[in-house]
Amino acid sequence: MTVVASSTPTSATAPEVDVVIEPLWRQRMRIFVHNKLAVASLAYVVFITLFCYLWPIFHPTNQTNQAATFNVTWNAPPSLHNPLGTDSSGFDELGRIAFGGEYSLALGFLAGVITIVVGTIYGMVSGFFGGITDTVMMRLLDAFLSIPYLFLLIALLTIFNRTTMLLILVIGLTGWWGNARIIRGDALLIRNLEYSQAARSMGAGRMHIIRRHVYPNSISNIVTVATFSIADAILFLSALGFLGLGIVAPQTDWGTMLQQGTEQLQNGYWWEIYPVAVVFILIVVSINYIGDALRDIFEVRLIER
Amino acid sequence: MLQYIIRRLVQSFVVLLIVMFFTFSLPYFQQGGILAPAYAIMGTNATKARVAYWGATHGMNHPFIVRFWNYFLQTFVHFNLGTSYKQNMTVWQIISLYVPRTVWLAGAALLFTVLISIPLGMYQAAKRNSLVDYAATGSAFILYSMPSFLLSMLIMDAFSFHWPHLPNSPPSGVAPWAMFTDPKGFILPVAALTLLSVAGLSRFMRGTVLEVLVQDYIRTAKAKGCSNRRVLFRHAFRNALGPIVTILGLSIPALFGGALIIESVFNYEGLGMQTVNAAVNVDVPTVLGITLLVTIMTLLGNLIADVALGLINPRIRIEGKNS
Repeated sequence: MTVVASSTPTSATAPEVDVVIEPLWRQRMRIFVHNKLAVASLAYVVFITLFCYLWPIFHPTNQTNQAATFNVTWNAPPSLHNPLGTDSSGFDELGRIAFGGEYSLALGFLAGVITIVVGTIYGMVSGFFGGITDTVMMRLLDAFLSIPYLFLLIALLTIFNRTTMLLILVIGLTGWWGNARIIRGDALLIRNLEYSQAARSMGAGRMHIIRRHVYPNSISNIVTVATFSIADAILFLSALGFLGLGIVAPQTDWGTMLQQGTEQLQNGYWWEIYPVAVVFILIVVSINYIGDALRDIFEVRLIER
Repeated sequence: MLQYIIRRLVQSFVVLLIVMFFTFSLPYFQQGGILAPAYAIMGTNATKARVAYWGATHGMNHPFIVRFWNYFLQTFVHFNLGTSYKQNMTVWQIISLYVPRTVWLAGAALLFTVLISIPLGMYQAAKRNSLVDYAATGSAFILYSMPSFLLSMLIMDAFSFHWPHLPNSPPSGVAPWAMFTDPKGFILPVAALTLLSVAGLSRFMRGTVLEVLVQDYIRTAKAKGCSNRRVLFRHAFRNALGPIVTILGLSIPALFGGALIIESVFNYEGLGMQTVNAAVNVDVPTVLGITLLVTIMTLLGNLIADVALGLINPRIRIEGKNS
């Protein structure tokens, strides 16, 4: 008889029972799958990502050539030909959601990854080395944190020549301050735990301890924070789109589309704002919810129930 | 306490210097270097000689360190932030004109946020997993995931155009007390800014109270026969207040950032709009001055939050008091 038990065998297991210890990742997976809303969120994110990248291949629409839109009705309501109508420049709205989504999702993801990589390295070095290194690095972080974020973004984007690459770099390199704080707290805690001290007493080097002990044990926070960072990056990108500092035309992103859509709100062209707004809000809600669920799966108390 | 405050003030000043150094060096990296504003003022086809003359009269031909030292002296000794390149005003005049307007807007929103989200968060924690809790958590999640401009635009569309009773913009003109003489125009922007902050703060309050409610002293209080109401208000509320005060202190930059978007949607001439315009027009002294000011406000906000924390919670002995 084979029984699947959790990683901590209790006294209830009879001696003749063959205990198979379920791997940790599978237990975590089980908790995640148990959370129906999280699975739905994940499915939604996957679906929208696939839609954004595959829909233009199956149903190509003109999204960049303004000259070719002169024989198209602008602001046309939804019809069979344009399932979600056309926007104020005559571009097909459904195709545009996919076209803008490619940029919003890719930029949000890349910028989010930069924030978490830089934040993790900075936080780990600061927390692990401690002492004067920590003090200097944290005061520097205080300085960054007290600059109003959006003001800084605007200043950076106006003084440099705005390109897609710059948008990723600016959002990524200015968004890691909060992450570094969280990771530093973790590193500070873990470095004083018994296993780190044991490793040190056996002569392990600092980099070894960071790689083998501090990093794996703070992975839960890193993963969770990374998810929220991606959602935040997508939101910041949209705010920049609203201020006219988003992706340069003829490319577009959801923030720029939302901004153009809100301009048409008073004319009653609802199809230019509500579909993209719903897609956008649900994406950010889903990513945030996945982050919440990921935090749950790393909770040891939930695993051992 | 005084010793602690003085030490924190000195630390904040160092942080401020770092921020100043950082923002002051930014114009060096822009296209055209620090002479770029000359083209913004005199047009793109200004002759080299005129640009060079402009640079010389504005002290641009000194090395970076000298310029930074001059700016430092000018700011902290003469309290002079320079003159705007674009508007015929000193930076101080711009700031004193527009800061009160933004402060009224952000302050009113902050007040309503606290008044709404603290009771809401406590109620949610007390009635956990009830219908109200789910509804509030759901709406907070959506509000939190919504770009601020979209929310304000939708609010404006619903309450100003489709139910046309409320003005879609606060009165123009720059009287800072317009909020009291003509409050009707402020309802929508303040409501938008409040909703945005309530989403985050009520969620945070709920989490904090939930964490407090599982503590041993709450069980003790219940065991000795305290009513639920008394446990919630006397024991849980007081202990949950600490993190909230810290978060409020940290939320000042976010509030200004949010105000920036709200101002631009509701067409309210405040500090945020001024910053965007100044940044787009390469009006370097104005951008530097406003950044400096907001940084000072942020640092003071953090300091006040930390001091208030010590006053609220006697267990937190502020360093320096015992030594």
